[in-house]
Amino acid sequence: MIVPVPDRLTAFYWEAARRGELQLLRCDGCGTFRHWPKPMCRACGSMHLSPATVSGRGTVYSWTVAHQAFHPAFADRLPYVIVVVELEEQAGLRVLATLEDVAPEDVTAGMAVEVAFTEVAPDVVLPVFRPARGHVSASGAA
Amino acid sequence: MAGRRVAIVGIGYSTVGRTTGLTLEELAAQAAKAAMDDAGLTAKDIDGVATHSFPHQLVAATQAADLIGIPDVAWYSGSVDGAAYSVAALHGAAAVASGSCDTCLTLRVVHRAGAAGNTRAHPDAAAGTQQFLAPYGVLSAVQWAGMYMQRHMAEFGTTEEQFGAFAIAQREYASRNPDALLRTPLTMDDYLAARYVAAPARLLDCDYPVDAGSALIFTTEERARDLRQKPVFFDAWAMGTTDQTDFHLLEDMPRSSPWRAAERMWSRTTLRPADVDVAGLYDGFTFIAMQWLEALGFCGLGESGPFVESGATRLDGSIPTNTDGGACNVGRRHGANFFIEVTRQLRGGQCGERQVPGAEVGVVSNAVGGYASCALLTAG
Repeated sequence: MIVPVPDRLTAFYWEAARRGELQLLRCDGCGTFRHWPKPMCRACGSMHLSPATVSGRGTVYSWTVAHQAFHPAFADRLPYVIVVVELEEQAGLRVLATLEDVAPEDVTAGMAVEVAFTEVAPDVVLPVFRPARGHVSASGAA
Repeated sequence: MAGRRVAIVGIGYSTVGRTTGLTLEELAAQAAKAAMDDAGLTAKDIDGVATHSFPHQLVAATQAADLIGIPDVAWYSGSVDGAAYSVAALHGAAAVASGSCDTCLTLRVVHRAGAAGNTRAHPDAAAGTQQFLAPYGVLSAVQWAGMYMQRHMAEFGTTEEQFGAFAIAQREYASRNPDALLRTPLTMDDYLAARYVAAPARLLDCDYPVDAGSALIFTTEERARDLRQKPVFFDAWAMGTTDQTDFHLLEDMPRSSPWRAAERMWSRTTLRPADVDVAGLYDGFTFIAMQWLEALGFCGLGESGPFVESGATRLDGSIPTNTDGGACNVGRRHGANFFIEVTRQLRGGQCGERQVPGAEVGVVSNAVGGYASCALLTAG
């Protein structure tokens, strides 16, 4: 297990995950999201950004199937899918996580996914993704 | 390019191997000495030093200057940021062009142990940007490499065999290079039998981690004319980045920083892609060199798979590429080998069975994703 160490700028993200919400920083001025959390809006230069809850719905931009573990904690999960998801809120707004509940060979670019939350240690909750409800994969499994 | 014309006058490597037992300073000193001997220079002739290091394997520029006995450094740069050796190269070239120094030693020293994710012990807690990666087991560059390959396949129909074709073509060059570490020719069956590390990236898509020191020396055209080797000149260079520099989250994986750097470089020269005789394109992973083939305009966007499969990067192809065998076969010299091999090609007659006959223009490149750079070199 590798646990995240929150800091001043990221604590909200992990607190939201514990509540079952995906929150990202959003500019108070122009409304542009920014992930990972940074102190400044890239679009307008504002220094005022606040956490905002997003839908957690998006599509697969790309993915890789991990066949080698680079830390012992992941050895018994192999192979598993690491995914970059484009959220529906904003073009180019990406979140990296694992993609659960799907066979690696059934993942496709553009497939609809939704956020889920998994507690990996006491009080440590990671956002992950899974196929969107109603999505039918290539092999026919829901 | 503005400023004084810059020549490459010395090139050299340390002992290179999987496990040399040599310290970073020994590798640096060996490479610097080899490059000075190649040029016919001593440390007293050098007044600039530019290095690039991994932060955990730091060889500072001032440390290197002291190490080899440069009496007084007029200009130095010790980078741990960005596009590997090319950062040291372009800092050094810009310093000579601007007159900040006259003769600059550039260095890239790397230890196999600890350079890659798979040989570094990762802690059980992750801070900074790692907090968004490590908890998912994302700890190695090969994992974003798999994503870039997958996106190219999804967007353009590229096949795993086409990445394999590049690996095979590079190994064929390596079989003609006595300095390469991996020299046994590869078949497509060999490639497809290699294990996945982060699918679709296989072990044979990855560069080969080694202990290596690499050095190049740059000086002015005037000084270059008096030295031992036929000079090779920088015609143009450029760096580039993307909307954000994280390799996983940037907006367009198939059109990442190489596209910015290449466009900027071509805007600074009258040369065109068709003028280029030989290419040294960074292959930390096979797909990186293929992205550069597209970014530099040797083939169109998304076309690198069929282009490589057609044999275009082989010695008799339209753009012989990575004629030393690339980092997949000469080892991870982290970009410096492309500058050294293309310099040898443009000097003429130094590449034996892999020499591109009459090569006069070469292109070199480094990195992908969040940051990249490239340069055009011409025979003197």
